[in-house]
Amino acid sequence: MMDRTLKSLSLLLSYPTSELQAAMPAIGAVLAADPRLPAATRQGLVDLADRLAAGDIYDVQEAYVMLFDRSRTLSLNLFEHVHGESRDRGGAMVSLLETYRDGGFDPITSELPDHLPVLLEFVSTRPFAEAQDILADAAHIFDVIRTRLGRRESDYAPVFGALIHLSGATADTDAVAEMLAQPDDDPTDLEALDAVWEEAEVTFGPDPGAGCPQVRDMLAAMDGPTPLNRSA
Amino acid sequence: MSHLLDRLNFFQSKELEQFSDGWGQTTRESRDWEDAYRNRWRHDKVVRSTHGVNCTGSCSWKIYVKSGIVTWETQQTDYPRTRAGLPNHEPRGCARGASYSWYLYSANRVKNPLIRGSLMRAWRRMRETMTPVAAWSAIQNDPILRASYTKTRGKGGFVRASWDEATEIVAAANAYTAKTYGPDRVFGFSPIPAMSMVSYAAGARYLSLLGGTCMSFYDWYCDLPPASPQTWGEQTDVPESADWYNAGFLMLWGSNVPQTRTPDAHFYTEVRYRGTKSAVVSPDYSEAAKFGDIWLNPQAGTDAALAMAFGHVILREYHLDRQAEYFEDYARKYTDMPMLVRLDQADGRLVPGRMLRADDFDGKLGETNNPDWKTVAYDQASGQIVAPNGSIGFRWGEEGDWNLEERANGAEVNLRLTQLLESDHDEIVGVDFPYFGGSATGDFVKCDHPEVLTRNIPVRRIKLADGKDALVATVFDLFCANYGLDRGLGGEWVSKDFNDDTPYTPAWAEKITGVDREKIIAVAREFAGNAEKTHGKSMVILGAGLNHWYHMDMAYRGIINMLVMCGCIGQEGGGWSHYVGQEKLRPQTGWQPLAFALDWNRPPRHMNSTSCWYAHTDQWRYETLRAGEILSPTAPEGDWDISLIDYNIRAERMGWLPSAPQLKTNPLEVSKAAKAAGKDMKEYVAAQLKSGDLKMSCEDPDAPENWPRNLFVWRSNLLGSSGKGHEYFLKHLLGTDHGVMGKDLGEEGGVMPKEAVWHDEAPKGKLDLLVTIDFRMSTTCVYSDIVLPTASWYEKDDLNTSDMHPFIHPLQAAVDPAYESKSDWEIFKSIARKFSEVAPEVLGVETDIVQLPLLHDTPAELAQAHVKDWKKGECDLIPGKTAPNYVAVERDYPNLYKKFTSVGPLLEKLGNGGKGINWDTKVEVKHLRDLNGVVLDEGVSQGHAKLETAIDAAEMILMLAPETNGEVAVKAWEELEKPTGRHHAHLAEGAHHTKIRFRDIAAQPRKIISSPTWSGIESEEVCYNAGYTNVHELIPWRTLTGRQQLYQDHLWMRAFGEGFVSYRPPVDLKTVTAAVNNDAAEGSPHVVLNFITPHQKWGIHSTYTDNLLMLTLNRGGPVVWMSEVDAQKAGLVDNDWVEAYNINGALTARVVVSQRIKQGTLFMYHAQEKIVNTPGSEKTGRRGGIHNSVTRATLKPTHMIGGYAQLSYGFNYYGTVGSNRDEFVIVRKMKKIDWLDQPATAQVEAAE
Repeated sequence: MMDRTLKSLSLLLSYPTSELQAAMPAIGAVLAADPRLPAATRQGLVDLADRLAAGDIYDVQEAYVMLFDRSRTLSLNLFEHVHGESRDRGGAMVSLLETYRDGGFDPITSELPDHLPVLLEFVSTRPFAEAQDILADAAHIFDVIRTRLGRRESDYAPVFGALIHLSGATADTDAVAEMLAQPDDDPTDLEALDAVWEEAEVTFGPDPGAGCPQVRDMLAAMDGPTPLNRSA
Repeated sequence: MSHLLDRLNFFQSKELEQFSDGWGQTTRESRDWEDAYRNRWRHDKVVRSTHGVNCTGSCSWKIYVKSGIVTWETQQTDYPRTRAGLPNHEPRGCARGASYSWYLYSANRVKNPLIRGSLMRAWRRMRETMTPVAAWSAIQNDPILRASYTKTRGKGGFVRASWDEATEIVAAANAYTAKTYGPDRVFGFSPIPAMSMVSYAAGARYLSLLGGTCMSFYDWYCDLPPASPQTWGEQTDVPESADWYNAGFLMLWGSNVPQTRTPDAHFYTEVRYRGTKSAVVSPDYSEAAKFGDIWLNPQAGTDAALAMAFGHVILREYHLDRQAEYFEDYARKYTDMPMLVRLDQADGRLVPGRMLRADDFDGKLGETNNPDWKTVAYDQASGQIVAPNGSIGFRWGEEGDWNLEERANGAEVNLRLTQLLESDHDEIVGVDFPYFGGSATGDFVKCDHPEVLTRNIPVRRIKLADGKDALVATVFDLFCANYGLDRGLGGEWVSKDFNDDTPYTPAWAEKITGVDREKIIAVAREFAGNAEKTHGKSMVILGAGLNHWYHMDMAYRGIINMLVMCGCIGQEGGGWSHYVGQEKLRPQTGWQPLAFALDWNRPPRHMNSTSCWYAHTDQWRYETLRAGEILSPTAPEGDWDISLIDYNIRAERMGWLPSAPQLKTNPLEVSKAAKAAGKDMKEYVAAQLKSGDLKMSCEDPDAPENWPRNLFVWRSNLLGSSGKGHEYFLKHLLGTDHGVMGKDLGEEGGVMPKEAVWHDEAPKGKLDLLVTIDFRMSTTCVYSDIVLPTASWYEKDDLNTSDMHPFIHPLQAAVDPAYESKSDWEIFKSIARKFSEVAPEVLGVETDIVQLPLLHDTPAELAQAHVKDWKKGECDLIPGKTAPNYVAVERDYPNLYKKFTSVGPLLEKLGNGGKGINWDTKVEVKHLRDLNGVVLDEGVSQGHAKLETAIDAAEMILMLAPETNGEVAVKAWEELEKPTGRHHAHLAEGAHHTKIRFRDIAAQPRKIISSPTWSGIESEEVCYNAGYTNVHELIPWRTLTGRQQLYQDHLWMRAFGEGFVSYRPPVDLKTVTAAVNNDAAEGSPHVVLNFITPHQKWGIHSTYTDNLLMLTLNRGGPVVWMSEVDAQKAGLVDNDWVEAYNINGALTARVVVSQRIKQGTLFMYHAQEKIVNTPGSEKTGRRGGIHNSVTRATLKPTHMIGGYAQLSYGFNYYGTVGSNRDEFVIVRKMKKIDWLDQPATAQVEAAE
């Protein structure tokens, strides 16, 4: 039995085509009717579906490409936000692929396994409790993307609000804060920018075991979340 | 700590089983934790591949794949062993390569074909009712529709497209362009084929079948050292890196091996432990400087002065005061030093003129074939003038004497180097040499010596065939005088004392370069002393730090002279090691037929990019350098003070340089007119050009008929990395927002060109269509109309070679291309297929007329012994002789796809070859049929060998090339035996049955086979070293004299003062004007600095500079480096945001303040991406540019010379180069940082 709400969210985040445009009223209707979602979120989703249905196809496609294909910080490939450029990313994708296979599916898309619409379509086929578990793992990413979309006043934001709500989780506020601390918030704030890129001062002290502060900071930076592109 | 406390002395546990006499023990601890490691490193397969563009490393890597996903990569360690006594090559690889797998799944990856939304909208609307070409035509003919996408380039607005639709637009645009303007208006740019030669060939093959223009890269990147073709008639040929280990004295000069040649640097490290001494010449305290036993830090741009002083010391101590036997013998046999030069007289003054030729003498010295191309010298034994074997006249039209045996006319000779002995000269005369040290501007030391220095020379007075008396001198005598050496002949401007302030002494060089004279003398002595003892094992590794200056030829020739004086060229462990950007395509002659479709039609259209971009991005309209500023004070009478573009136009007209487009009229129409008139194509074009009814495109680059219309960019980030004059590209070629701040000559009221037509209104947006094929959203993609997603380097099959090691190894598809991407081969194949479907709407079988310059390594290199311009009435227009040749080529457009995917008939009909030799290759084509299978479908390709896959294409290269097919190697050497009359095939005979296939190199990298394409050999006795076969097999260099050509006697060389080497200060590009420098006007802190763009450690050009992990190892985002003193002047501290600007544009970056940097220079490692962490510029209001935003290309007339032996055109061999280091910028602190990253609006440009 397919969870049509999750499937609808998968479709809302897919690249808009005329076929998808035609299906938008049905998608909007499914979402409007799901009592699991708060009224305001439902309204936001219906508005998005309406806009996607009514908008000029080129305008909605350009907007989609600019948001989701071109902006790293809004990437729909979830591991971009978790693993970034680290070599763990390949292994994580392999695990996800195995999850899909264990669930009885072979991906036939050219998208990578961590593409959010792919994941949503998969969880739409799972029992809701299991779906919630999977979504909850990514709740902090949804929260970050929702916040960033909100800053851009994008009407895609409610999709991520809905996902957080459906997951039943409260996003780990620390993780969210840490990811959002990636300094794209006030691009005119010179001091904040400097702080990020400043290298630690090298001191030649009496303690030879203290190590190199530059290396320490560099390693700390690499342990943390990906240093995201600040201009996005 | 004592083990006693932990060990049981009196008990043994009963529960533990022991084995191996108690050395082994079975434990019961859980080992489940090990599974975590097992899973972490689990993989399904390991595939060999490498990294495919822009790095000479050519390192083989293991790619680990699990469930169809690349998980990581590690270095391969299975290179064939080097011979005993030499360190091995591995491990090869660096941090850049090790982080590559990130690119596959990066958010920066191009996932789908993308098209500018406004173009897609227009296209689909037109396509509702129209056929493809009609639809494209309708868009082009509606100025508003065209502008709707051209003006928004770089501003986002992409939508996804299907492959079918994207290729249809491209095909329709190409067909429309060929039909409307001519196929030569379709351009393609891709660099460095060696690193992924099939991918390069894919696009070049499509263009060549179409009649499009393939653009060069090596000269445009300014990595081509013109001094190499000038001296050796060879583009670039260098020792492999393992040969560094054989050197006895090693200089690093303007090259930073530990930083930029990471996988090879170990040979440099290792040879120092063997006792080799190393001198490093670098203005900054570079990573290489740390390796030097001695560090010389000249002011950037003054290296030629240093080289002159080294030469001065070496000549004094090893050639004059004492004659080192090895050096003298080498000079006599392998250099032009014994050759005779006629002294020209004007106004009672003498200057060195042309080299004398057999033709100048009565009876032509017995030479009937090409006597005007046979240089002469005195034979010491007979005292007679002879035309010794090996000069270029012996290369064409006869056989057996094109060699370096000491013979002339069948008899043994011993050539005279000098006429110093009283018995050997008739007179001592004063000869004028130009001196440029006084023309220095800005920060460069200006000397007060006069601009003409007259020095005494011993000469013979002889009678020539025309009855005239002539004064003749040897090159050696002129050469020594040019270096300012006193030989006891009296006169001025020569010196015996290294401490004199006479040009080219160490004391003089100290004044100009800032390097201590004692250091200069010491290094010169050790360099030469080692070479004398070891017979040539002194080596100079040199690179971009020298070659990117306008007068790079002087620094390079200065260094080449040192090496030649000491007999180091062609000797293992010695020589000239230029490692920038050429990245040797070893199986070149196997690759050329594939790449340029020589199996279907010849010749292809090639273009030198520097001249092309200079004209078509309208950089010439802003030219600040006049030819008069660089002309020699000794130049003969002539019309010399014209604009640089005028020189280029003359060069194109005389057939010296290629043109693109070629004729103002569509060549498909010209052929029809010729047919209608019943005339031979060539004669028709010649007559029409003479009458002026037909015009060459070069004369009017801004006329719409002459614009480039379609441009493919693949394997390259042209706009983000290599586009010198970046802002001019944006303004004129693309027609979008730009940061050009200067005014053109019209607005400035400057001196107008004489030959080029001036339009008051410059065109903006010449290109109808820009298509970029890439796997990452680079700066070039951002500015494109169509972006096609290509396979990354772990997703395609290809070949890879380098000049750094002798192996050939593959790229392989470890996984399928991600998302919607395809390999370059498949992309161009799909465009070709679509083109064949679409083209019949307007094109059928057509006759194209291809314009061909006078090519090096063909008989046309003997075309012009004298400079004569047909347009000025100095000679008749004879195609292929006094002008370019015009060749009719059939284009079967509907069958283009069938031709693309099969091996055509011309290889069997005309053979294959390169560098002046040609061999029969029928048997290889037959083997290809057997290996790849034959085409069964009916049509033009039926029965021919298949070229369906990239592996089929790779097999074609491997089968045809002597380097990978021993049977061909033997044939090729045998062909070379005809002109030389000597036995060479022994160099490959042992490898006769070696045939390297794609699957062989997938198993292990293979060492290539010795071939006459290259001047070094692959052997178990010596390392690969350039010039080896010239010295040891006596094969002439492909120059006028057949020897290393130290004197350049072409008229333009003499006019511009470069007959002999000298020091020429950087040119004044006048880009820091009062109008642009408002910091000076406002009195705010700033500093004006020389702008230097070295190669970096954390990226390769723009590749990897968008990899944030690599950026984190650096500083993230763009940085510039400056000295503490300069920083203080400008009120800057480390990490400040600064803006660097001049009239060409502006860039923004963080400043790194370091003691490492020499005062007066600003470093910006090229090429950091505009798309990452770059804030907006206050000067232009646009996103801060790339390093090329403050540069503009400038041409040099001597690089345009053609039809003259080694100075003849060849693709990526000779031509104008894009120098960029003479540039100055104003640097100041930025007041506010604006990231220009508001929500997606029209302002969001290039970013995201």
